[in-house]
Amino acid sequence: MSTRLPGPERRLLILKESQRLFAEKGFHGVSIDEIARAVNVSPAILYRHFESKQALYDAVLRELSSQRESYVEAVINSGAGFEEVLISMTEVFIHSIDENPNLLRIEMQSLLDGNSATSEFFENRWKSFNDYINFSLNELLAYDIDDREIKILTASLMFQGMVREALLQKYLQPQDRLIDVSLNELSRELVTLFVRAVGIDRPRAAETD
Amino acid sequence: MSDYDSELDASGLNCPLPILRAKKALAALEANQTLRIIATDPGSVKDFEAFCKQTGNELVSSGEEGGKFVFMIKKS
Repeated sequence: MSTRLPGPERRLLILKESQRLFAEKGFHGVSIDEIARAVNVSPAILYRHFESKQALYDAVLRELSSQRESYVEAVINSGAGFEEVLISMTEVFIHSIDENPNLLRIEMQSLLDGNSATSEFFENRWKSFNDYINFSLNELLAYDIDDREIKILTASLMFQGMVREALLQKYLQPQDRLIDVSLNELSRELVTLFVRAVGIDRPRAAETD
Repeated sequence: MSDYDSELDASGLNCPLPILRAKKALAALEANQTLRIIATDPGSVKDFEAFCKQTGNELVSSGEEGGKFVFMIKKS
């Protein structure tokens, strides 16, 4: 039998260890027994807190989503230009991964697991960027272009791909060449490249809505 | 509190877009005029609280109506 911890503390410990294990091994790679061992309790006690592995996994996600990053400050403190806002948002996002790389690991694991609750959670995180890029480009590209919708969709996919790959390189397979790059530098470079690629890098040409 | 001078529907949009659009909509208002905002992102509740705290505008009300979040902000 384990050392006795008060209920709420034990619950927190279970969540913490589960987050780590799910991040390392994915939903299917972890058993309730393994989590129980990591927390030093019996599976029966663990089931007293969470009725199933799925319930535990959902609770881990809920906890992560409660620490959801807020872009309010980034938006208030930056200028109104598309590029500036996007840089601030990217900094906030990268910072959230820097604080807890498990977020990135669980996202990667969940892509393979095909867990719908998780996909929704992570899609929602990227939706902030997709919404912002979509809305802004629609305004900034005021002139007529062919296949407007698909171009804007690919642009936001490109942005998501760039940021995600940079995060993977920086946090999951640390590369020497990225070790000395600060988060802010990384955000700025990615956004600058992106803005140039979508062809709206005329200096502060337009303001977003 | 059913009076407002301008309305912004940010349904379906994730933070920070509702905030950015509210910022812009408020800029077009005079002091003491009120903006009504409709949003669906659950995070918007905290976001608009933080927004008003930081910008000095008054969050007159914040509530739920028919599954959507409705905010009234009075420009300072």
